[in-house]
Formats: sequence, structure tokens, C-alpha cells
Amino acid sequence: MTMSFRWLSPLLATPFLLAACGGGNEPAATQTQTAPVPEPEAAVVGVEPGYGGNLIIGSIGEPVIFNDLYSQDVPSGDISDLIYAALTTSNENLEVIPDIAIGEPDISEDGLQWTFDMKEGVLFHDGVELTAHDVVFTYSIFLDEDYTGPRAGSFTSLENIEALSDYQVRFTLSEPDARFATLTGYGILPRHLLEDIPVAELGEYQAFNIDQPIGAGPFRFVSWTSGQNLVLEAFEDYHGGRPYLDRVTFRFVQDLNAMVLLLGQGEVDYATGIPPEELPTVESFDNVNVHSTLALRYDFLGYNLRNPLFQDKRVRQALTHAIDRQEIVDTVMEGNATVAHAPVSPLSWAYNDDVPVFDFDPERAKALLAEAGWTPGDDGIMQKDGERFSFEILSNDGNNVRRDLGIIVQQQLAGIGIEVTPRQMEWGAFLDRILAPNFDFDATILAWGLALDPDPSAIWHSREIEQGLNNIGYSSPVVDALAESNIRIMDQDERAAELAKVWAELAEDQPYTFMWYPLQFVGLNQRVQGFVHHPRSDMHSVSSLWIAE
Amino acid sequence: MVSYLIRRSLSMIPILIGISVISFSIMYLAPGKPAVMNLDPTISAEARSRQLSALGLDDPAPIQYIKWLGAALKGDFGVSYIRKRPVSKMITERLPATLLLMGSSLFLASIIAIPMGILSAHKQYTPLDYGITTGSFLGIAVPDFWLGLMLIMLFSVNLGWTPVGGIATLGGDFSVLDRLHHLILPTIVLATGSMAALTRYTRSSMLEVLHQDYIRTARAKGFRESKVVMKHGFRNGLIPVITLFGLLLPTLVGGSVIVEKLFSWPGLGLLFIDATFQRDYPVIMALVMLGAVLTVIGNLVADLLYAMVDPRIEY
Repeated sequence: MTMSFRWLSPLLATPFLLAACGGGNEPAATQTQTAPVPEPEAAVVGVEPGYGGNLIIGSIGEPVIFNDLYSQDVPSGDISDLIYAALTTSNENLEVIPDIAIGEPDISEDGLQWTFDMKEGVLFHDGVELTAHDVVFTYSIFLDEDYTGPRAGSFTSLENIEALSDYQVRFTLSEPDARFATLTGYGILPRHLLEDIPVAELGEYQAFNIDQPIGAGPFRFVSWTSGQNLVLEAFEDYHGGRPYLDRVTFRFVQDLNAMVLLLGQGEVDYATGIPPEELPTVESFDNVNVHSTLALRYDFLGYNLRNPLFQDKRVRQALTHAIDRQEIVDTVMEGNATVAHAPVSPLSWAYNDDVPVFDFDPERAKALLAEAGWTPGDDGIMQKDGERFSFEILSNDGNNVRRDLGIIVQQQLAGIGIEVTPRQMEWGAFLDRILAPNFDFDATILAWGLALDPDPSAIWHSREIEQGLNNIGYSSPVVDALAESNIRIMDQDERAAELAKVWAELAEDQPYTFMWYPLQFVGLNQRVQGFVHHPRSDMHSVSSLWIAE
Repeated sequence: MVSYLIRRSLSMIPILIGISVISFSIMYLAPGKPAVMNLDPTISAEARSRQLSALGLDDPAPIQYIKWLGAALKGDFGVSYIRKRPVSKMITERLPATLLLMGSSLFLASIIAIPMGILSAHKQYTPLDYGITTGSFLGIAVPDFWLGLMLIMLFSVNLGWTPVGGIATLGGDFSVLDRLHHLILPTIVLATGSMAALTRYTRSSMLEVLHQDYIRTARAKGFRESKVVMKHGFRNGLIPVITLFGLLLPTLVGGSVIVEKLFSWPGLGLLFIDATFQRDYPVIMALVMLGAVLTVIGNLVADLLYAMVDPRIEY
């Protein structure tokens, strides 16, 4: 069984915790380390894209709200991706590319002013033109003191936004922020429909957010029947050209087994998040292709650094040395992942594998423990100053990969005289224990879904210890300084070089034992053509899909 | 009778208040916070507290309870933290699907189980009785999710006779036939478990009656066996079974999480389980109270029915 709710929308600029297990079942040899390579289409050679047809997308969760300013869940974000247009979007290589903007933004010398030129003639679904004033309207909401949505923290450096003309908009920042490009992907709201709604009430304004959202995206909202389905239809006047599909129907399926069956029956055309254990079944269907790519995430075993057991760097390195991660990837993940050594995804432009590596080496682990003052006690468990090396690994239930990982780590650490108790809890109760203000855990198995921008601040800066995502309490002056300086560097190559120092520092410190980068899998009916697998946005290529007869 | 009804109705009030206090406390004491409180961690403390106060989550728990009770008494069950929609609307949207599924499975279970129970009791210790008994135990033992998956494999995947899940054909217009088509499998799965229990219940209740003196008397009078069993036996044997129906009333709306999940049936069970995982307090409380009210009413109905079928009982 897989818990399938993720916590926050992939749109979010900060990383988010993942409850579900990822990964899949393709042989590891098909992965590349640098960029996702879409599998070759089983395309009908020489067939031109044709208009028409209804694409049925299977969705495990039901959406909540169709408004990027307030949505926090994956289904809402997916559907909003189709309804709304934004200044920018990202391509399958995770590069920020223009949507209704034209070309790259013009960034001032000091990095404070970002000016975007916009396409003319972009229409909302109700026929009104989308102009710079709508962009200003949308982004001003983030700055409003009455805005309490989930994105408030992302725009702290945004000072002002103004329309220079109907088709030119300028963002002014209070400090240079290289991450800002990835914040320009929020769906633009129609000012003419919403300007009379007080910002404090906007999140609750159902008539727009739920009943009739109007955007300028490739598909317009038609209907939503709770618990059953949601229908979108092609927007004829879409600025990128009318989509090939006539309709997109989200079918709400509550159970992954049922989802797999529906895929085989042809009642669902496109299903994401196929769990590895279902892959043999899905691959056995004659009418379905399986596509895979690395997910923009990594799984890890994190140590609570408040616990005296884990405060010595050598001890943490020893723990990693004692865990055979390649073996775990080959067994628990059935080879559908790559061993991770640093908190950055190979998909990112900031990836750098020049970091200290702690491969499986129990002898080295024992030597490091001895160096740190740990000696075997009478019961075979390591001891120091009368304290036994014994701790609990917490993870969330409903996730078999994490359960198995906990058990294997228990066995492998027993090999160097460390006692581990794996334990699983319900997701909500688990979060309550591991996050502020409780921090009541020794070690946890978790995964980060990463943001488009590789900035490490949200997870690793020491200011995030009390309230933020740095729940293990990691504090390093070197990382803090680099986290603050890297976002001021506008040149991507220079910034990558700075970030490489962060990855090396974190790998050396081993606050986590970095586990793996998992593959993710989708099933797609063979009648659907033109698919491009985006590692982060499942709706990326929907507007250019077509149905082969 | 009327004074009894009034007395019983009045006694429901403290019971329901007690249930609401206990459920509210348990909900608050359970670990985990409403999922909406897991905001972007970089959000300012001030914005965070504004959001909490907008949801009423910054009050102490007793105050929150009193506010909830005051609104609930007026029929206002609040707005879902997650979906930002009125809870009563979310429930009424889902209620028909659950009622339909549970009603039809209860109906199917009764029309099969009651005759089987009678037959089993009447032919006690015959191969027929053993057959029915074995079948009942199988029905009780088979897990819902397994049976459901097997039926889907056989009838939906291999034979293609029934849809894999859902309540209606995608994009189709509503038709009774289409609805029944989608209803068949989940109804069978749900009915199997309750059918088995109901058969055993009817059987034991009938056995007790069939060994009574008045049945022997009826037989001695030379009545036909069918008349003895149906008229003298069944009517008396039915009394405890009726109680069971009263107690089943809350399960009618409780739905079955497993079957609803398996068949993607958009009912209340799914709503409840989602709300629980997300700690969506208003939804949890409304559904708990709905269950509580129906349980209390179910008990009352059972008692009233008792008096109706059994002249010895008077209130």
C-alpha cells in the first residue's frame, strides 16, 4: 500500500516532505546521471498529430482549490497547471522557460530589477485579454498583509511590482535573489473578475476558486463531480495554439490496484506514481507504455543532532560506512534508484558529484567509532562513558520501502555493534513528533521533494532550526555563509561552483546518510502520442499530447 | 407510548453531548495537527498566527468546543479546513452514494440471509445446514478487500461484464441501469460479510424458538410444517433479528472505507478517512456526530419495533 498524498504542491519554492514511496522497477542501467531522457515513444512513424479525443487521467487524490496562490496539494496544482498561464514555466530539463513572457527577463546590474516582456493577445477563457496589469494584480496579492496563503514566505524579498506598459512588467527586489526566476511560475489570475474581492477573503472565494476558475491556460474548466471526475476542455484561443485534445478528464480513483486495472482496461489513459511493485503488471498490458525518469528528490536517514549520540561527525560517517546502500538499492528498491551522496539531485544544474563518499566499509566504520571513543560492551553493543549506542529510527506507516529500509539498517548496524529499533507511525502523528516544537526523535527515514531552485537554505541554514525544515538541528557556519551568498550570484555557473562547496561540506558532515535518488514511473496508453516525461510536473506535456486513431 | 418516546428523546440529549465531548477530546489529544497548520515554514510568525486565528485554532480547546457546540446546535458544522467548503454540503454530496450502496447491500443480505437462516435452523444437523453454516463462516472469514479484488479480476478484467470502479460511466448520462451496473460488485462484497452474520443470527434465533413448547403444540395440532415454521416460528424468531436492523442503521451512513476505496465509490467512508488523516476537525466532528445520532435513533427504533412485533412488550 502506498500513501499517495504529498504535502505541498510541486510549484512551491521550498522543498517538501514526501510521505509516499517512490522509485520503480526499471533496470538501473537505463538511468542517466545527468538529465532525464524521455524514453523513445512507441510512436506511429509518419503519423501527424491530429485534433480531437478525450484524455482520461487517473488521479488518486482529489483537488482542493484551483488557485496557485492557495493550493497545497498535488492534484490541485496539476489541474491549475492546465487552467492557468504563467509568466514562466519549466521544461523537462528543469530549466525556466517563458510561457506568456517573451524571452529571458532583463535583470538589472545589481540583480534587483527583473523586467519581463509579455506576449500580446493572450486571452483569458472569458475572452478578456491578459495584460501586465493582471500580473501586477496577481503578484501584489503575495505582498498584501492580509494574504495568509501558503506562499507568503516565498516572496519576502519582493518589494514592488509594476506594469511599465500593458505588456511589460517589472519586479523590484529588496536584495538580489537568483531564485526569483523560479517564483514567476504562478498562474496569473484575472484582475477584472477578482479585484473587488478583499485579499483576506480571496482564499475562501469559492465562486472562482472552485466553481468557475478562469485562467489563460490551454484548457478551460467545465465541471467537477466530487468523488468522481473533473472535466476540462480545450481552450480554442490558447496563446500557444489550441491543444490537440478536445477534453481532459480527471478520473478520481481511490485505490492504486484499481488504478492499475483501469489502465489495463483502457479506462484510464495516463496514470502517474505507479509503484514499483505494480510495474510487472503494468508492463504486461499490451496497450500501455511505461515511462520513467528520475524524480527530483532524494531519500535519506536523518540524525537528530540534538542527541549526544550523533554529535560527533566521525560517528555519523561511521554509520554511513556501515550501511550498504548499493545493496539496499538493489533489494529494497529493486534497482530503481541510484545511491545518493549529497543533498542535490543529478537532475539539477547545480549537481556536483565531487564530494566525500562513504562507501560500505564496516571495518572503517568500527575504526571511526573507536576513534570517537566507542568500545564494545559486554553485550556486544558499543559503549562510551557507560552509555550504550542504541537508538530508534522513525518513519511513516503505509510505506513498505521505509519499513524494509529500517529493518535492513537495523541488521547492518548490528554488525558494528549498534542497536537500532525501527518504528513506523501514522503520517500526521509522525510529523508532529519530528517537527517543531517537539523534535522528539533519534533518527528518521524521509525524502525531500526538491524545489526547482537548488538553494540549500530552507533545509540546511541554522536559522531554520527552530521553526523550519532543518528539524535535525544542523548548524555549520560554512553552510550558513554559502547559503546566504549563493542566492546573490546571478551567473548560474558561478553559483553552481559555490553550491558545490555546500554539497561537499554537507557530505563531509553526514548529518544525513543520503540514501538514493529514486526513479518514478507513469503508465500511458499507447494511443496517446507526444508524451514528454517531466520529472516534476505531470501535466507538462498534456497540452501537446494527441490521440492516435 | 408517547410519554415513552418523549422520555427517550430527552435522554438522548445528554448522551449526544457526552459523545461530542469525548470525541472532541480524543481528537485533540491524538498526536498530529491539522494538515493546514503545516504551512510554508518560511512564513512569518505573525501571518501564521493570523491564519490560525482565522480558523479558530488559537483558542484553548474548551473554548473551541463550546464554539463548535454553539454552531452545531444551530445546524452549522463549520467549514472544512482543507477544502474550505461547508461541511454539511460535503456530507450531503456524499450521503446518497453511501446510502445507496449500504442500503442495497443490506437489502441483498437480508433477502438471502433470512431464508437461509430459517432453512438452516429447520433442517438442523442435515448436510444443508452444514453447507449453509460452512458458507456463512467462509463469508465472515473472507476479507472485503480480497473478495473485492477477486471479483474485479474475474468479472471486470477477465470477463469484462462489470466496470472496474466508480459510480457511473465516465461522461455518460445518468441511467438507472448504468448505476445498477456499477453497484453490483460493491454490493455483493459488502453483502457477503453481513449476509453471513445475519444467517447465523437468524439460525440461532430460529433454533431457540423451534424448540419451544408452543411449536411442539402447533405440530401436535397437525398444522402443516411450513405453517408451523413460518407462522409460529418465524414471527417469534424475527424479534431479535429486528433489533439487529436497528443497530445496523448507523452503518448505513458509516459506509465501508475498504469497499469504497477499492471501487472508488464516492461515499462518506472515504470522506471520513481522508479527514482523519488530515486532522480536518470540523469534518471529523460532523461525521462522528452523524454516526452518534443515528446510533441513538437506531436503538430507539429497535425498541419501538420490538413493541410492534411483540405484543408482550409495552411501553
